Amino acid sequence: MAKDPLAEAGFYFDELNKLRVLEPDVSQKTSELKEECKEFVDKIGQFQKIVGGLIELVDVLAKEAETEKMKAIGARNLLKSVAKQREAQQQQLQALIAEKKMQLERYRIEYEALSKVESEQNEFIDQFILQK
Amino acid sequence: MITFLNSRSHKELVSCVGWTTADELYSCSEDHQILKWNLLTSETSLVVRLPEDIYPIDLHWFPKTLGGKKQNQTEIFVLTSTDGKFHLASKMGRIEKSVEAHKGAVLAGRWNYDGTALITAGEDGQIKIWSKSGMLRSTLASQGSPVYSVAWGPDSHRILYTSGRQLVIKPLQPSAKVIQWKAHDGVVLKVDWNSVNDLILSGGEDCKYKVWDSFGRLLYSSSSNDYPVTSLSWAPDGEVFSVGSFNTLRLCDKTGWSYALEKPNTGSVFSLAWSADGTQLAGACGNGHVVFAHVVEQHWEWKNFVITLTKRRTMQVRNVMNDAVDVLEFRDRVIKASLAYGHLVVATSLQCYVYNSRNWNTPLIFDLKEGTVSLILQAEKHFLLVDGAGLYTFSYEGRLISSPKFPGMRADILNAQGVALSNDTIAIRDKSDEKVILLFDALTGKALGDGKPLTHKLFRHGEMARDHKSPSKCFFFKQKKLEVVEVALDQSGPSNERKIALIDKNRDLYLTSVRHLGREPKICKIGSMVHSMSWNDAANILCGVQDNQLTVWYYPSTVFTDKDLLPKTLYIRDGSEFSRTPHILSYVGTKVTLRQGDGSLVYSSVPPYPALLHEYSTSARWEDALRLCRFAKDQSLWACLAGMAMANRELTTAEMAYAAIGELPRVQYINFIKEQPSKESSLAHMLMFSGQVQEAEATLLQAGLIYQAIQVNIDLFSWERALELAVKHKTHVDTVLAYRQKFLQKFGRKETNKRFVQYAEGVEVDWEKIQAKIEMELSKERERAANTSVRSSVASRR
Repeated sequence: MAKDPLAEAGFYFDELNKLRVLEPDVSQKTSELKEECKEFVDKIGQFQKIVGGLIELVDVLAKEAETEKMKAIGARNLLKSVAKQREAQQQQLQALIAEKKMQLERYRIEYEALSKVESEQNEFIDQFILQK
Repeated sequence: MITFLNSRSHKELVSCVGWTTADELYSCSEDHQILKWNLLTSETSLVVRLPEDIYPIDLHWFPKTLGGKKQNQTEIFVLTSTDGKFHLASKMGRIEKSVEAHKGAVLAGRWNYDGTALITAGEDGQIKIWSKSGMLRSTLASQGSPVYSVAWGPDSHRILYTSGRQLVIKPLQPSAKVIQWKAHDGVVLKVDWNSVNDLILSGGEDCKYKVWDSFGRLLYSSSSNDYPVTSLSWAPDGEVFSVGSFNTLRLCDKTGWSYALEKPNTGSVFSLAWSADGTQLAGACGNGHVVFAHVVEQHWEWKNFVITLTKRRTMQVRNVMNDAVDVLEFRDRVIKASLAYGHLVVATSLQCYVYNSRNWNTPLIFDLKEGTVSLILQAEKHFLLVDGAGLYTFSYEGRLISSPKFPGMRADILNAQGVALSNDTIAIRDKSDEKVILLFDALTGKALGDGKPLTHKLFRHGEMARDHKSPSKCFFFKQKKLEVVEVALDQSGPSNERKIALIDKNRDLYLTSVRHLGREPKICKIGSMVHSMSWNDAANILCGVQDNQLTVWYYPSTVFTDKDLLPKTLYIRDGSEFSRTPHILSYVGTKVTLRQGDGSLVYSSVPPYPALLHEYSTSARWEDALRLCRFAKDQSLWACLAGMAMANRELTTAEMAYAAIGELPRVQYINFIKEQPSKESSLAHMLMFSGQVQEAEATLLQAGLIYQAIQVNIDLFSWERALELAVKHKTHVDTVLAYRQKFLQKFGRKETNKRFVQYAEGVEVDWEKIQAKIEMELSKERERAANTSVRSSVASRR
């Protein structure tokens, strides 16, 4: 095939017989590249989106983990303090019990004294009746 | 019972509280506010906001009453602060004066009881006394460590302060002796000294509180609590005290054992204050609250009635016999109550209610002048009210009978140990001179007899026996007057035989009569180591706690007729059933109620016979009395009867009673008395029997029986007196000399007495003549007695 003078001048015709300055295969490759690039950008965009979502998710998780951690620490502290509170309460109750015990002891002594008086009086009555 | 008034409270910890009236309280806090709490309306209002640099520490109101007189001065209080100043502030909260007092904080500021001086204690270890207007008078003490607390003694002449672990009592006079002792194992944080019972209270970082007497002797020490004692306060009447520490409020008896424990959520209680009537307690709490507490669940018992104060204004009466329950409601708070002799007397802040135990529905009500009744005493016919202004006796019908007054009276510090009441007499131990007992007629309120108070004099052992022989001489013996600790009047019998029992500082028990003619009354010791005592409500029987045993004096008056009989009339109960110094609460009927050192009540019954015997004796039913003694077969009862019969000059009964207890010499003497030719002689010998030689001699001389009087003295070997009488009446000088000679010969001694030597020169001793003279005297007496008896029998026939 004879050399296309146009081609020498750097002009080409495409399939639609439009005048072009780029070689058709280059042009084709370029457009291919463009396609590929577009595809790549799309993919990258998609990837970014996915990663963004992931980061967000992780952030949320981190936050949740943080609050849970705080909660755990709080709970643990609470637990510790409850034990202490219990101890204090127990101490208070012990003191109150000791107080009541002392009162009980007093009542016991009083009861004993009264029963003794009762038995004495019964004895006295018996004696009185016997002597009469 | 504890209440919070939550309407408003401080934002920071409350450091101090103080009552103005019974229902109004001021509190100061670190948030620079002074709040006023009204308990009637439950309102809290801001009095004043203090400058930012004043952090208050202590507050004390100027004392309101002074010896019954109202201070008409505007009410002020002292406020101490951390910047080393104290401030005098008015009721409106205006600071009248600020005085630079100490380096570092002023930790305490207290007025004395009459408001003439103020004492401050600082972190710099100094104690300073200030005048009422805030002028420095003196620096009383200075030490290396801070003084945390300070208190005035009851007489305002001494102060008590803390010094590290020690307590110090320092009199204001510089030369007087300082008492200092180690009180706690930790730093002492708070002290208080009660003016009524003179007891000291201390609390420290060793978590204990202790009760001391004013000599620094330990009376009670609590077990170690969980937290340091941060505050304590005596109730004004000295019967109870309160202790505060972290989340803890405790109410204790004056002997130390605790009535109640509360665990309110308050933080540390930094200050406690009782209202003047002793019914309400306020505490300054670490969490900014002010806590109020009331004393409830008090009990009163009498025979078959038990009364409980269930609420502040409500009482429940329970009749144990039939389980009937009555509820008594009052308009105001109950301040004091007393149940005895079938009557309940309740003093509220405005009124007095008198209930009869037969009818709990319709009390008798009358208004009270002053609201702070501090003591109610009851006798069978009337009762005595003591408030800040004075003493008043009322009948159970609510009529004011009398109100005794005496100079220097401070009715607000009278307690039940220092006052005694019977149907006709009031006895009060003088607070300014505790050796003196003032006696008043309960019906007129006037001082008894010649108005001279009874002074307790102690005679050394053995002198008691002598003083009645020569009462004029007893002043030459070394007399020691001793402080009286407790007085009690007997409750029954005629008023001219009223007896008073008293315990002195040596814990000796004495008995004397209240009404006496002319001469000084005889004070007879009837027991030692007596810690407390009480008369029976119906008969003149006395019971006391001696050492650790319960002793009942069936007939204590026997010391006046036959002293040796006294030990035989005792009824002693072994002390093993009581532990730790019991205190007698009451002796009603045959039941003695005691409270032990640990607070428990114990009872002891006394045989009912002596009370019966007393009844027979007062109604002169001697036959019944003899029958009772024969029935009971009790030596002590016979001894009582002997004493009673002798006191009533009932010789036949006395003879039998003495015979029953084997007192043969006395039986013989009674027979001798019976054989006396004239009434006067037998009376004189009866007086001799009870050791009243003076009276016996006087009786004889009055009847003109000179010889008999001389003979009495000869028999007692009081030669000088016999000679004196003989010379004075110019008769029987030879008789005296003859007997004296005989006496000296017997002992192989020579006459040394100058007077006898002198008279012996002029008088010749002739035994036959003397015998004849004596015979003549006796027959003369017999004749005279016969004449009078004839005359009296003639008179009776007419």
